[in-house]
Parts: sequence; C-alpha cells; structure tokens
Amino acid sequence: MSIAQDFSRGIMRENPVFKQALGMCPFLAVTTSVENALGMGAAATFVLVFSNFLVSLFRKVIPSKVRIPSYIVIIATFVTLVDLLMNAYLPALHSSLGIFIPLIVVNCIILGRAEGFANKNKVLPSIADGIGMGLGFTLAMVIMATFREILGNGSWLGFNLLGESYQNQPMLIAILAPGAFILMAFILGFFNIMEKRKRGGAR
Amino acid sequence: MGEIIRVGSMLMLVAAIAAVALGYVNSVTSPIIAEQKEQAKLDAMIDVAGSLASGELMFDSLSVPDLANPYAEVDETLAVVSVNDSAGVELGYLFVAYGKGYSSTVQTMIAVNTAGTLTGNTVLYQQETPGLGANVSNPARFLYQFDGLNASSLLLSKDGGDLDAITGSTITSRAVTNSVRNGLDALSAAGIIPVSGGAQ
Repeated sequence: MSIAQDFSRGIMRENPVFKQALGMCPFLAVTTSVENALGMGAAATFVLVFSNFLVSLFRKVIPSKVRIPSYIVIIATFVTLVDLLMNAYLPALHSSLGIFIPLIVVNCIILGRAEGFANKNKVLPSIADGIGMGLGFTLAMVIMATFREILGNGSWLGFNLLGESYQNQPMLIAILAPGAFILMAFILGFFNIMEKRKRGGAR
Repeated sequence: MGEIIRVGSMLMLVAAIAAVALGYVNSVTSPIIAEQKEQAKLDAMIDVAGSLASGELMFDSLSVPDLANPYAEVDETLAVVSVNDSAGVELGYLFVAYGKGYSSTVQTMIAVNTAGTLTGNTVLYQQETPGLGANVSNPARFLYQFDGLNASSLLLSKDGGDLDAITGSTITSRAVTNSVRNGLDALSAAGIIPVSGGAQ
C-alpha cells in the first residue's frame, strides 16, 4: 500500500467515526459547536500522529504481551507532555485547545490505530495513517457539530445564521446530550444507505 | 518465570522513562505556567478596573479585619484589591467570586465602586458545558446585565429578581449571580461598601 492510500483511507473509506465507530465519546460530547469540533479534531490529530510515530518506532522493542499497557503509558505520557508544554509556551493555543487535551487520553481512536496499524507498519505509513485518521475524525466532528450548532444555537462557527429571535428560543435538544444521540443515528443511517447504494450500483 | 521477569522489566522500563520525562518537563514548565496565570490575572484586573475610571490606576491589596469569606471551600481568604487613582483617591474594589456551577467552579473577577455598585466583570475560569453554560464567558449573553446593579438586585428572574439566565443554563447563571451577591454581602458586612437597601 502506498503512503497516499494510507493517508486517504482514514478520511472516507475507513472513517474512524462513520465506518469504525471509534471515538464515539468525544464525538458525542464536544460536538456542541463547530469551534469545539475543530479544536478537538486538531488536538486529536496532533496526538494521533505522534503516538503512531512512537508506537511504530518501538514496535520491535516492546514485547507483544505487554504492548497494550505500554501503548497506554506512551500515549498518556505524550498527551501530558503536550499539555504541559503547550500551557507553558503556547498559552493562547492552550486556552482554546486546553480543555480537550485530557479528553484525548480516553479517545479510543488513538489506541485503536496504535494497535490496528502502527504496531505492524513502518514509521512513515504510520504517520500518514495518523494524519488521515485525524482528518477523518475532524471531518466527522465538524459535520455533526454543524447540525448541532445550527439547530441548537442558530449559529455556525460563532456566526449568527438564523437571527436573534431564533437564538432566544433555539431547538435546545440538538445541543443537549439526547440530541447528539438522535443526530448521530441519522448521520450513521445516511452513511449506511450510501454504502448500500454504492454496492447495489456495482453489482 | 524468566519470561515474566523479562516482559515485566520491559514494562517497568517504559514506565520509568515516561516518569522521568514527565518529571523533567513538569519541573521546567510549572514556574512558567504559574507566572502566566499571574499575568493573566493581572491583565484581567487592569481590564476590569478600567470600568471604574480611565487613566492611571493603582492597585493595593486591602486587609480588612472581620472580613467573612463566603468562598471558604475553594479559597483560603477573600482577597480584596482596592483601586486608587494616581492621586490616591479610592475608586472601588476588585475581588474574585467563586460560584459552583454545573461542572466547574466559575471564577468571576468583579469590580465594584465605593458606593457598592457593580461596574465591570470578566470570567477568569469556567469549564461549563460547551454551547450552554460556557456561554457565560460571552458577556453579551448574561454578565452585561450586572453593570449598575448592587447586591440587592442580583437575583435571577426565576428567583424573584430581574436577571435573565442563559437559556438552558440556569445552574451556571445562578451560581455566578449568587457568588457575586455573597461577595458583595461580605464586603458590606465588613463595612467596605455601604449595605444596599431592599430585599437582603
């Protein structure tokens, strides 16, 4: 497989949220606004690339029996380092992304890609896979957040779209937890229909 | 047996490297982070105090006997800073109100003039629900209503006052409102600002 294929696979064909159903927790929790979705996506992509890099680099050193605890230690350490360094040297970025960083430790996409890809592949394809999966995750989050922010707050990325009168009485359920589940069902259903159509067409 | 020791020591090595790396980076970054927090607080003080008067302002920490601390759970003392103009005339006071919201303790820096009227505020810290309670950081959604009020009029409309809570975020709005009112009450009980008439 070429690097380009490793990269593009995560965006649509094996999109972590829509196709692998990974990372559902942040997908439901932080998609209340497009800004949050972009922030979480950027932070997760960053960590994903470096954790894939580290896991791939040490894949031959770490005994397979303790690989999962080792990956968790590597990922948690790396996330904490990023949190501390960003807080100290990039405070502006930290104040917008900071709240998402501790959440990344529990994002199963990171561990999923470490186990599913990086520990069997060389460093460069692993990095490409990390970028692709990260972008796919970001894309999925932004799609979901677009629906939730427009319906639940009348705005998109902070810009007021539907006017003051809508913002005073929005469809609040879209921004609350039940709305996240309902919208997720619609979005996943849509992608399943598309998948079926595509297969039907090929036959 | 040898296998277990080999595998176990490998895991221990990974954890040891991680611990050393974390310890080192923490020791390097923690003073910088603390300094930045101080700086952010100072910036907020200058920003909020600008609502009392324009021009050169002097800050002085105020020590008051008998000042009750309504935020004893989260901070050891209620630190009040007096704001003076360049001639030394006292214009008002700054303090930080802590209110337990939905998912965090909302910290709001408050400026109050010597007559006990609120003139400015800014949210220093909150981790409320994004899209709901987190809107408290946007002054146009809620906190703009505070300017010009005194302790007796700080009540949500649901609690019998005139303040409109953020839609879907009554807990956050109430936490901030009540924490500011408790702070003002503590100041007036200690004789720093006049007791506001009315409901209290």
